[in-house]
Amino acid sequence: MDFFVILGPVVLLFIVLGFVTYAIFFERKVIGWIQNRVGPNQVGPWGLLQTVADVLKLLIKEDVIPQKADVSLFKLAPIIAYTPAFAVLAVIPFTESLKFADIAVGLLYYMAVSSITTIGILLGGWASNNKYALLGGMRSAAQMISYEIPLVLSVVGVAMSAGSLNLTEIVKAQQTGVWFVLPQFLGFIVFLIAAIAELSRTPFDLPEAESELVAGYHTEYSGFRFAFFMLAEYTYIFAMASLITLLFFGGWSAPFGLTFIPPLIWFIFKFLFFVFFLFWLRATMPRIRVDQLMEFAWKVLLPLAILNIFLTALFKEIPVLSQFY
Amino acid sequence: MNINGEFIAFFIFSVLAIGGAVFMINLTRVMHMALALAFTFFSIAGLYVLLDAPFLAVIQILIYTGAVSILMIFGIMLTKHKDEDKVAPFTVHKLLSLLGVGGFLAIVIWIIYRNPFFSTGEPQAAAFKVTDLGKAMFKTYMIPFEVTSILLLVALIGAIVLAKREEKK
Amino acid sequence: MEKSYLSLAIFFLLGIALPMVALFFGRLLRPHRPLPEKAITYESGVDPTGDSWVQFHVRYYLFALLFVIFDVEAVFLYPWAVSYDLLRTEMGLFILVEMTIFVLFLLIGLIYAWKKKVLEWR
Repeated sequence: MDFFVILGPVVLLFIVLGFVTYAIFFERKVIGWIQNRVGPNQVGPWGLLQTVADVLKLLIKEDVIPQKADVSLFKLAPIIAYTPAFAVLAVIPFTESLKFADIAVGLLYYMAVSSITTIGILLGGWASNNKYALLGGMRSAAQMISYEIPLVLSVVGVAMSAGSLNLTEIVKAQQTGVWFVLPQFLGFIVFLIAAIAELSRTPFDLPEAESELVAGYHTEYSGFRFAFFMLAEYTYIFAMASLITLLFFGGWSAPFGLTFIPPLIWFIFKFLFFVFFLFWLRATMPRIRVDQLMEFAWKVLLPLAILNIFLTALFKEIPVLSQFY
Repeated sequence: MNINGEFIAFFIFSVLAIGGAVFMINLTRVMHMALALAFTFFSIAGLYVLLDAPFLAVIQILIYTGAVSILMIFGIMLTKHKDEDKVAPFTVHKLLSLLGVGGFLAIVIWIIYRNPFFSTGEPQAAAFKVTDLGKAMFKTYMIPFEVTSILLLVALIGAIVLAKREEKK
Repeated sequence: MEKSYLSLAIFFLLGIALPMVALFFGRLLRPHRPLPEKAITYESGVDPTGDSWVQFHVRYYLFALLFVIFDVEAVFLYPWAVSYDLLRTEMGLFILVEMTIFVLFLLIGLIYAWKKKVLEWR
């Protein structure tokens, strides 16, 4: 047994923790710049230690569990929410050789395991025995399950073109042709919108609509238990940005034959673009209404995702276009 | 019996699956039961992986752990789920259920041991391929596949009709 | 292949271990001064009335049901999509017709739900 199998995931865990720390800092800075503010700049040089200080603060906060709460579920819920967020990273290949679990059903594994988090959120809201938390949890769950369907169906077109569910194979299929963002443009748009909704980011951040639900499902959580819900959210940003890069933007492959830049750098570059894109959205978009939210998933995104599948099958029949599908 | 990694993994997953089921029956709060059941579903996915059926394992997580568990929790939310910590007395109804479940178990075991698929033939050494599954499903078992869609449609419409009636009350 | 499953298991174990370890060390660092006021359920400063484990509207359940059914549909679509090119050469366009019929039945269900105003959220 080589050490990579054991130590690799540990190293990745620390990379993810580092990413989350600086993603939060970067998010606050970006939103600050967009809103013509400075953003955090007091702790450490240029405010670089701001999130570190925030995490330390959460670590030494008192752990308050409401008397009416269901204590065992209350303690279990953040773990149920966080564990799948990290577990989905197992199937993400960062380059041709830098990958952990190379399984045939990688893409479906991501979709399946990430759906477990919904249970954690739902149970967290229920166990708090708080009206805001339960309502927020139910709303979160309803939103996540509604957008999971278009998310899952929009990548069927990619699976058709690549002929595989293995993420490495999907990237390889794009290296011979064009990146799937072009032929699968409709699928990409549906996937992007559904992904943002799955991540509960603006404009789909209704579960945490602070003006109506206080804080949503984690209203009663404090200290590190709260931190793990947040960590799960940002770990999913890491995972989802990686997944979009792999599925639609050719993963680590270099565009225009610019192969002198190493593959890992290309991956990180594309990945960071999507992370930035999410923060950019948050600074510029208003929140949509709850009734629009649910109807949009079922009445617009789902039919479009199904349409994309049949369009892909159709384009496979057209002589000139079929080479791209 | 040789003890290797596969055996240990099988042991752990089966203990988790059975443990989840036992907890599911013995817990008093209905929400805890739902979680225990979700846990059992997840452990069964682990068993599928050991059987070299990764596609089935992933589906098990997607459909059962991810979707059916949520459906059950939403179903619980639909009821007045106040906790009642009382132990139900042993009744004739329970005895009948036990007989029914026992009979069903016997039939299932009988079928498993009768079916030549399980008793003869060497296990296939070839690695799992999704395309083989697609071939079997869309070529060999085409009619059952189409019938499944009708089954799903009936389930959907039936549920809507029932729920709408409930809403009117 | 075995190695892949081993690393899946390691990812799950690490995902469980991190919160447990972090919360354990947090316990050593954080204060613990319970007061009865602190343990009251938060309700914007007002003393909470009644229980929050209430009965929810049936539409939540219907969305969950739709979700299960379309999830099952997706599960059928995946192997179809992966083996499409292979089966296209073996069976011709019939493979497309087959899935069109399958999806059509589910679309009927979706349209039924649409018309019955199940997809509305009010």
